[in-house]
Amino acid sequence: MSITRAWAVLMALSLASTAIAWSGAGGVWAALAILTLAWGKAQVILNRYLRLSQAPDISRGVALVLGLFMAGVMGLAVAGG
Amino acid sequence: MSRTPTEPPARGIEALPGDLMMWVLIVSELLVFGAGLLAFMGVRLTDPAGFAEAQSHLDRTGAGLNTMILVTSGWLAARAVAAAESADTARTRALLAGAAALGVAFLWIKWLDYAAKGAAGITFETHPFFTFYYLLTGFHAVHVVAGIVILGLVAIRPRAPTVEVGAMFWHMVDLVWVLLFPIIYLLGAGA
Repeated sequence: MSITRAWAVLMALSLASTAIAWSGAGGVWAALAILTLAWGKAQVILNRYLRLSQAPDISRGVALVLGLFMAGVMGLAVAGG
Repeated sequence: MSRTPTEPPARGIEALPGDLMMWVLIVSELLVFGAGLLAFMGVRLTDPAGFAEAQSHLDRTGAGLNTMILVTSGWLAARAVAAAESADTARTRALLAGAAALGVAFLWIKWLDYAAKGAAGITFETHPFFTFYYLLTGFHAVHVVAGIVILGLVAIRPRAPTVEVGAMFWHMVDLVWVLLFPIIYLLGAGA
């Protein structure tokens, strides 16, 4: 994925998360959708902007830690309703 | 470091792009912001209705616009790295200046947001939501200021390694915002 394509993906994901919030959709599913989109954006920035995809071993480790963080945030979002 | 065709591809930490110390800084900053965001989510459990009410006072449009601004700024910074690797000094400087200018635009919108909160009498102590809001977004804004300074400094003599380090710091600022924005501004917005 080129840098420009990564930027386009980031813009699309940002618009999608803002659209979900503006649509008035509430509750757990909307929260999980917004957090999943944020997770996707973070992965694009790490792998394309920060070029972490050049170091696959490190990239997998960072993806695991980011996944654990997002799982924690999602768990707390579900617990909060 | 250049490699001969017979050398195996770099693995592990040797394959890490950019400066190792910048990665240490990035991981440290992500841990600090990550802990802050998890604490925010934890405290939110104690008063979901209060947090939702407090969140309704935020400017989601401005914050959404700021997300677009930072993502685009990161794109310019990434392109500046490519320009620096091509030894195109003028283009590198122009791209770094564009990235920094968008950083200033981000700060201006953030300042308008803070000014509106101040005019409405919303402070650190109004509600725990706003304690986290000011701490996390304020700490992030300080990093945006630092990033603008760093982009300006590397633009003076834009060699590829220094431009890459400056851009890495800027991408870290971008990365923190894409995680902070939905958690602080969007979660529970439709509730």
